[in-house]
Amino acid sequence: METRVWHYDGRSGERRMPVLVPSADERRFTLQGDGADPGPYAFADLEPHGTSHHERAFGLKGRPGWRITFLEFPPSEIAVQLPKPARYGAWIDRFGLWRSAGVLAILAVLVVAFTLKLPPLLARLVPQSVEQRMGRLIVGNLGTYACASPQGDAALKALGARLRQDGDVTIRVVHAPMINAVAFPGGQVVLFDGLIQNAKSPDEVAGVLAHELGHVAHRDGMEALIRQYGLQLLLGGFDGNVSGYGNALLNARYSRKAEAGADGYAIGRLQAANISPLPTAALFARLAEQDAQPGNAAVMMTYLSSHPLSTAREQAFRASAKPGAAYKPALSPEQWQALRAMCGDSPATAP
Amino acid sequence: MQEQAERGAFEFYGAWREYAPIAFTNLLLTIVTLGIYNFWGRTRTRQYLWSRTRFIDDRLEWTGTGRELLLGYIVVVVLVFVPVAGLNLLVGALAMRGTPEGAAAAGLLFFGLYLFLFLLGGVAIFRALRYRLSRTYWHGIRGGSDDQGFRYGLSYLWRMMLGSAAFGLLVPWALVTLWNERWNAMSFGPYPFRSGASSDGLMRRYLLFYLLPVALVIGGIVAVALSLWFGVTPQTAPGPVAPPLFLIVGFFVFYLLFLALFGLISLSFYAAYFRQAIGALTLGHLEFEFTARTKDWLKLMLGTVALVVCTLGIGSIFIGYRNWAFFIRHLRAYGTLDLEQFTQSDTRAPGQGEGLFDSLDMGAF
Repeated sequence: METRVWHYDGRSGERRMPVLVPSADERRFTLQGDGADPGPYAFADLEPHGTSHHERAFGLKGRPGWRITFLEFPPSEIAVQLPKPARYGAWIDRFGLWRSAGVLAILAVLVVAFTLKLPPLLARLVPQSVEQRMGRLIVGNLGTYACASPQGDAALKALGARLRQDGDVTIRVVHAPMINAVAFPGGQVVLFDGLIQNAKSPDEVAGVLAHELGHVAHRDGMEALIRQYGLQLLLGGFDGNVSGYGNALLNARYSRKAEAGADGYAIGRLQAANISPLPTAALFARLAEQDAQPGNAAVMMTYLSSHPLSTAREQAFRASAKPGAAYKPALSPEQWQALRAMCGDSPATAP
Repeated sequence: MQEQAERGAFEFYGAWREYAPIAFTNLLLTIVTLGIYNFWGRTRTRQYLWSRTRFIDDRLEWTGTGRELLLGYIVVVVLVFVPVAGLNLLVGALAMRGTPEGAAAAGLLFFGLYLFLFLLGGVAIFRALRYRLSRTYWHGIRGGSDDQGFRYGLSYLWRMMLGSAAFGLLVPWALVTLWNERWNAMSFGPYPFRSGASSDGLMRRYLLFYLLPVALVIGGIVAVALSLWFGVTPQTAPGPVAPPLFLIVGFFVFYLLFLALFGLISLSFYAAYFRQAIGALTLGHLEFEFTARTKDWLKLMLGTVALVVCTLGIGSIFIGYRNWAFFIRHLRAYGTLDLEQFTQSDTRAPGQGEGLFDSLDMGAF
């Protein structure tokens, strides 16, 4: 039986219908009749060109447009020599669709997980000097709100010293009614006056400050910025969008893990400084309670939204208290007065 | 020698049930590869669509590969998008400096960047068409172009700028002349495409499209003025509650009507533009015609919207199929094609795919 094929030679558009004749060793074939270039051609040089196994169209390696198409199923001695049509792509065909999809899905999850893990890794890679310059730029933006008095500054310094802040941390108080505190990059910690006025004792302020120092030590601020601004931050130089970065950090929502880490750090610092953690726990409890009252919501929102509270966190502080320990207040009464008076006596916390 | 009857030079005989396995496996593989498979998926879709498209006595064949699409994409990202992003940051840095010179330099750079991207858009349209023709085989013969498309990019830039500059009135002229320029640079086999479309018949529909918003604004002002003139004095008595609600509902209805009418008119312009442009296209002794009227386009659009909405978005994997079927079903060819003289194209086949086009996210044709 002779095997006729449709044939284009890739040079002219004329269709020929030669007979495909395999050679004696069945590795090659010739195309005979109807004016076709007889060849010989190697079966190994054929490339599948059909889109399904119903279409038996083949091209020839290195000859664009050269085609043979079997009009009916070729005899088996020819069929075994023909390459299989590609379906999804070479790699996927080799392993099968479902197995490939499974493996690729696992890989995809890994890639996504790695990408999510990238900000903390990148944050560690930013040089300390760059981070400090950036922090100074952002806080410099708050300049007009900054509060200062000799006694107040001394009190802040004393509080920092008790919590064993490193030399690279700068603590400032700004005149704003929000109950909030923020750790900017480069060890720039800002306490809002609203927090100090709302606090019942210096120990509460110490607890919050220690928490922010925890964010500084873990470089959470840098991580939050990289999360939000990504490549733009790393490539663009930091001067471009200073107020934007400041705002982003004011509204930053750290991960639960970062918050727990900062809490752990704070508890450790309070313990080392012999400051009671109970007032801080009480502050958390009070904030949560006040937030439940509609009238206070606006004031409380800030701190609560950026520091998602949970009873677990409050309890962590409470549990760290050692029964019978002789805790010393974080600041002396005079120092505490000086800190409270730093922003003048304007009613920062109206309610 | 082939003589073609009025109908039937082109035929699309695909079936969506046959295409569905391709579409769904493409979707699956695209998801699990985080989008990378998209290049191979598009290739598979085209292989299917082309292979189910008959022209005269044989099917079309798509020979592009996913790898060259990916390569094209990478080339564009490295050569165009990374430098442009860098320049963008430079613009930002200059603007932040706050000095007048800095601001001027930033403005100039930004304007230059904008012009450059616009030009690239033109190059992308040209090169995508060239790539598609060079990967389309029929009777073992392919199409292509010897032009790289950069001159077309320049032409695209100035024509579109001029078209919009004259209050947008020259846009039809720009579209049609660009269509001619693009297709006159293309060929299939030994024959160059020739396109001599003119924008003459298009102006009426375009003016409708152009003047509708103006007319409606004037009409709206007149209506409001009239209602104030006649309405307000007697209506002060019933109370102030009724008018606002009436106004809001009225405005909403008016807005919806405006959108529908505006969409319809722009569709009718689009339909006329396509009929005119394809109707003026020849290849050797072949002439082409596109028969889709506004009504057909409207049916296509509404069908696509219904498909996507009713399947909660999953139906969008069939949009390409629908568009191709629509295109081929309304495409006609007349005339003769001498197969003995229909020899292989000697244009240089581009090495990689339509990366520029992809990354600028532009539609076909």
